[in-house]
Amino acid sequence: MSKKLKEVLANAGISMDLQSGGAAPEKMVDREVKREPHPRIKKLKDIFMDTLSSANNEFTYWYTREYMMHDCEIPVVRRAMALKSAFSHSTPAIYPGELLVMHKASYFRGSFPMPWLSEGFYMAHEDEFYKEALKRGSASVDEHSKFGQGGGNVTKSFGKVISIAGKFGMRQEEIPALLKLAKMWYGKSVDDLGNKYEKMVPEYKTKEQIMRSIICMFDSGFTLPQGREIINYYYPLEYGFDGIIKIAKELKDKVAGKADGDGMVGMNRLYNYEAIILVIEGMQKWINNYAKEAHRLEKITQDEKQKEEYKSIAERLEWIEHNPPRTFIEAFQMIETLHIGVLNEDAISGMSPGRIGLVLYPYFEQDIEAGRLTEDEAIELLEQDRIVKTSIDCFASTGVVGGVLSGNTFNTVSVGGLDREGQSAVNRLEYLILEASANNAMPQSTIALLYDEKLPEDFLMLAMEVIKCGTGYPAFMNTVIAQEFLMKQYCKEGMNLEDVRSWAIGGCLETSPSVWELLHLNGKEYWIPGGAGQPTSVGVHFLSMPKVLELVLFNGIDPRTKEKVYEPHNSKLETYEELWKQFKLYWQITCQVLTWTNNIQHDVWRKNNMAILNSLMKPDCLDKGHLINELGYRYNGTFSIESAGTITMVNSLAALKKIVYDDKSETLDTIKDAILDNFGFKDASEVNSFSLADQERKNNDAGKWEKLHFEVLQAPKYGNDDKFADNILLEWEEFFCEDATHYESLYGLNMYPCQISVSTHGAMGSATLATADGRLSGTTFADASMSAFPGTDRNGPYALLNSASIWDHAQSQNSQLNIKIHPTAIRGIEGSKKLLALTRAYMRKGGFHIQYNIVDSKVLAAAQKNPENYRDLMVRVAGFTQYWVEIGKAVQDELIARTEYEGV
Amino acid sequence: MENLLYRDARNYVPIDVTKGIDHLTGQIVMADKEAPNGYEVMPKCKNCKNFKDDGELMGICESSMSNPKFFAYPDMVAVTCEMYSNKL
Ligand code: SF4
Repeated sequence: MSKKLKEVLANAGISMDLQSGGAAPEKMVDREVKREPHPRIKKLKDIFMDTLSSANNEFTYWYTREYMMHDCEIPVVRRAMALKSAFSHSTPAIYPGELLVMHKASYFRGSFPMPWLSEGFYMAHEDEFYKEALKRGSASVDEHSKFGQGGGNVTKSFGKVISIAGKFGMRQEEIPALLKLAKMWYGKSVDDLGNKYEKMVPEYKTKEQIMRSIICMFDSGFTLPQGREIINYYYPLEYGFDGIIKIAKELKDKVAGKADGDGMVGMNRLYNYEAIILVIEGMQKWINNYAKEAHRLEKITQDEKQKEEYKSIAERLEWIEHNPPRTFIEAFQMIETLHIGVLNEDAISGMSPGRIGLVLYPYFEQDIEAGRLTEDEAIELLEQDRIVKTSIDCFASTGVVGGVLSGNTFNTVSVGGLDREGQSAVNRLEYLILEASANNAMPQSTIALLYDEKLPEDFLMLAMEVIKCGTGYPAFMNTVIAQEFLMKQYCKEGMNLEDVRSWAIGGCLETSPSVWELLHLNGKEYWIPGGAGQPTSVGVHFLSMPKVLELVLFNGIDPRTKEKVYEPHNSKLETYEELWKQFKLYWQITCQVLTWTNNIQHDVWRKNNMAILNSLMKPDCLDKGHLINELGYRYNGTFSIESAGTITMVNSLAALKKIVYDDKSETLDTIKDAILDNFGFKDASEVNSFSLADQERKNNDAGKWEKLHFEVLQAPKYGNDDKFADNILLEWEEFFCEDATHYESLYGLNMYPCQISVSTHGAMGSATLATADGRLSGTTFADASMSAFPGTDRNGPYALLNSASIWDHAQSQNSQLNIKIHPTAIRGIEGSKKLLALTRAYMRKGGFHIQYNIVDSKVLAAAQKNPENYRDLMVRVAGFTQYWVEIGKAVQDELIARTEYEGV
Repeated sequence: MENLLYRDARNYVPIDVTKGIDHLTGQIVMADKEAPNGYEVMPKCKNCKNFKDDGELMGICESSMSNPKFFAYPDMVAVTCEMYSNKL
C-alpha cells in the first residue's frame, strides 16, 4: 500500500491530527451546550432539514416577458417594469406554523435563475453556450468545485427532478422553459455584453489565461454583482411604502425636465423616480398576493388557532403593504419582506441585515412596555428568522455557489459595537438575538460580534456560551480596527466619527460603511443604523497567491495547462529579492487587468441591470434621485482586491528563502523539479481526491524527494511566533495593503485590500501544483488569511496570535483567523472565561477577526463516514457556518486536519 | 376523469421539487402522488383558455401583448395571472 501524506508529515513532526496544549480524551466528546427552539420553530426546522434546494422559472418568466416587450424604453424604467411584473406574479407560499411569511420563490428553500446576468452555466455541458463559457475561463472554476453530497443539495438528477449547477433541483416540466428563457438572453446578459466589451481591453488575453489557470476565482460583474453589504431598512420603516411613493412622486414633479446644473445625469432623476415607484408598486402587489393567500387559508383551515394566525398574518401584510409598521412583529415582517425582495432583485450573496438589534429595538421596547409582547415571543420570532435566512439560496454557477461559498448566503447579523455617542450599543434585544441563535442553531444568520472594550461582560460571556454550542458564531470583529479602516477609506467621501460607529459586517467579515437615521415611533425618536455603501463584494475576486508564485517559478507558464499566462520574466531568480520582486510584478499585472475587465462588467451591469429596490433604501438615493449606478449611495469606494492562500504562500516563500537563498542547501531548480514531481506523490486527480489526507506516494517512488520534502516541511512556518516566517507575512501585507489602493474602480475611486478565503482555498488548491512549503498538488491551501496551515502551529494559540498580529490590520478591510478547540478545553464558566481572555488578547494585539470551531475532530471524522447521522452538524469554515453535509470533501478534510487546541 | 396529482391541486403548497403540504389535512405529501377525489384544480397555464399548446412542454400565451406572442409553459402556476381564464 502506498505511503500516505499523513505518515510523511508525521515523520516530519507535522501531525494532521495535531492536538496542541494537551491530549483530547479518547472518547468522542459532544459540544457542552445544547439547546432547543420553541416547538413551532422545531417543526419548521424539521421541514427545512428535509428540504431540497429547489428552483423554478416563475420570476424569470415574468421578468423576461415584460422586459422583452419594452425594447426602446429608458433602461432603468424598463428594468423596473420587468421587476414589477416579476414581483406581482410571484406565487405566494405560506406554510402552517409560520409567523413571519414570504419566500424567495414558491418553495420553502426556493430560488430562480437570472439569465439576464449570465445564462451559460446552466446549459448542458455539450451546449455551445457552456463551451463558450469554458473558453472564456468563466466556467473553469466549476470543474474544480464540489458541493457536499448531502443536506439540501441536489447534486444529481433523479426521477422527475433535474439537477442544475450541481445544487438546485428543478422539475423536468420546467426545463424547456428554462432553456428557452436562457437563450432569449444570449448576447444580452451582463456576462455576454460585458465579455463583448472587456475583449477590447488590450490585455484581455492575459485575463482569459488568468481565469483558465484559476489564479482568479471568478468575475464579479455578472456572477454576484451585489452583496457583502448592509441593507438599510430605514425608509420603509419610517415612511412605509405609500410614503415612499409619495416622496418619489413629489420629487419627480420637482425634477422633471431639469438638469439642475448636472449636465451628465441630472435629467436621469425623473426616470429613476419613475423606476422607484414601479418597483414599490411591484412589492406592494407581492405583499398583497400573500395577504390574499393568508385570507384564503384562513377560510379553508379547520384548526382554530391556525385560522386565527392566518388572519393575523393577512392583516399584518395588508398594513405593511401601505404603512410604516407599528409593532415588533409588523416591523420584523417588514424587514423580512424587504430582505427577500432585495435578494430577488439581483444575484446577491452577503446581503446582511446588519444591526437588527438596534433597528428593531424601538418596536421591541414599546411593545414590551405596553405588554403587547413578551421576551419569549420575541425569541420565538428571532428563532424563526434563522429558518427564513438559512432557507435563502442564491442561484449561481457551481464555481461560485459551491467552490467559493459552500452554498452559504451570508445574511450576517451584527451585535455589540458602539452607539452614535460612542458608548456600548448593546441592548436587551441583542441578548435575545444571542439566546435565539443558541436555541435555534442554524447557519444563518451568522453573527458578528463587534467587539469593543466597552461591551458588558455578561454579554460577552453569553457570546461564549453560544460559541460553545458549536455554532461557529458569534465571530469577533474588532471595532477599533474597523473604525480606523473606515476613516481611512471613506473620509474622502465625507464620513465622520458618528457614522463610523454605525458600521457593521456585510457578508462574512467585510467591514461595511453605514449611517445613522432618526426613526420616529409614537412620538419617540431613535437613531438606527443601516447600510449606506455600495456592495463590497465587487472588484477583483480571490487571487491565488500560491498560484502566482507558481507562475513566477515557471517563468509565466502554467505547468498544469501548459499555457502561457504572463509574459516570461526570464529572470534566473538568483536572489530572494529577485523572486519577491517578480512575484510583485505578476501580482500587479493580475490586479490591473482584472480591475479593467471587471470595471467593464460592472459598467454593463449598472447600465442595464442596476439595483432599484436596494438602491432606493440606501441613503442618499431617494433624496438625490440617483441610484447606485449614478453614485447615489453615500459611500461608493467599496471595490476591493481580494487575496487568497496567504499563509500557503508565506510558508512557501519562507521555505525558499531558508533553503535556497539563506542556507543554500538546495537549488531552486531542484525544488522546481520536486514541485513538478509532486514530491514523489501521485497526482491528486489520480488519487481521485483533492483532500490532504488521501494523498499517496507514487507506487514506483524510490524516495527521491523524501529528504527534500522533509526539509521543506521543517522550514519555518507561520503561526509559531517565529519572525523568520512572520516577517515575510509582514512584508507581504505592507506591499499588498498599499498596492491595492492604486487600482481605480469604475466609479473613479481607489480600491482597497480584502482578505477572506470563504471556500476558495479548496477549489484554488485543486488547480495548484505542490508548493515549496511541502503542500501537495491539488490539495487545499491554509484556510482564511491568518489561520495556520493544519498541524504547523506547534507553539500554542498565543504564539499564533502573535504571528497574526505582526502587521497593522487596520490597513485592510479585514483579515481572518480561525481556531479549532476541543470542547473539553473550555468546559464550564472557567472555560468560557479562558476563551474570552484568548479573544480579548487578540483584539488587544490589534487582530481584526477571530472565530472558533468548538468540536472534537473525532466527531467530524465520524460525520464524514456516516453523514446521515449528522444532518444538523454545523462547522465554521472561513467566515461562515455551514452544515457539514453541504460542504465539499476537500474542505471537510481540511477542517478535520486543522490543529485542535486541547487547552487555551 | 383521473384524479389530480397533488402538484396540480390548489391546496397543495410545495416545500420542494418532490413534496409539499396538503393545506386541507396539514400533512406532508408527495408531489407526484394522486390527491383525494374532489380536490380543486390549481390554476396553471395548461388549464387556461389562453394557452395554446405547442407540444414539448411549451405553448403560446394568447393574451400576451407582444408581437409575436410570448411563449408560456403548461406547468406554470397561474394564481397571480390576471389574464387566467379557466378552461376546465
Ligand atoms: S393568460 Fe396567464 S395563465 Fe393563461 S396562458 Fe397566459 S400566462 Fe398562462
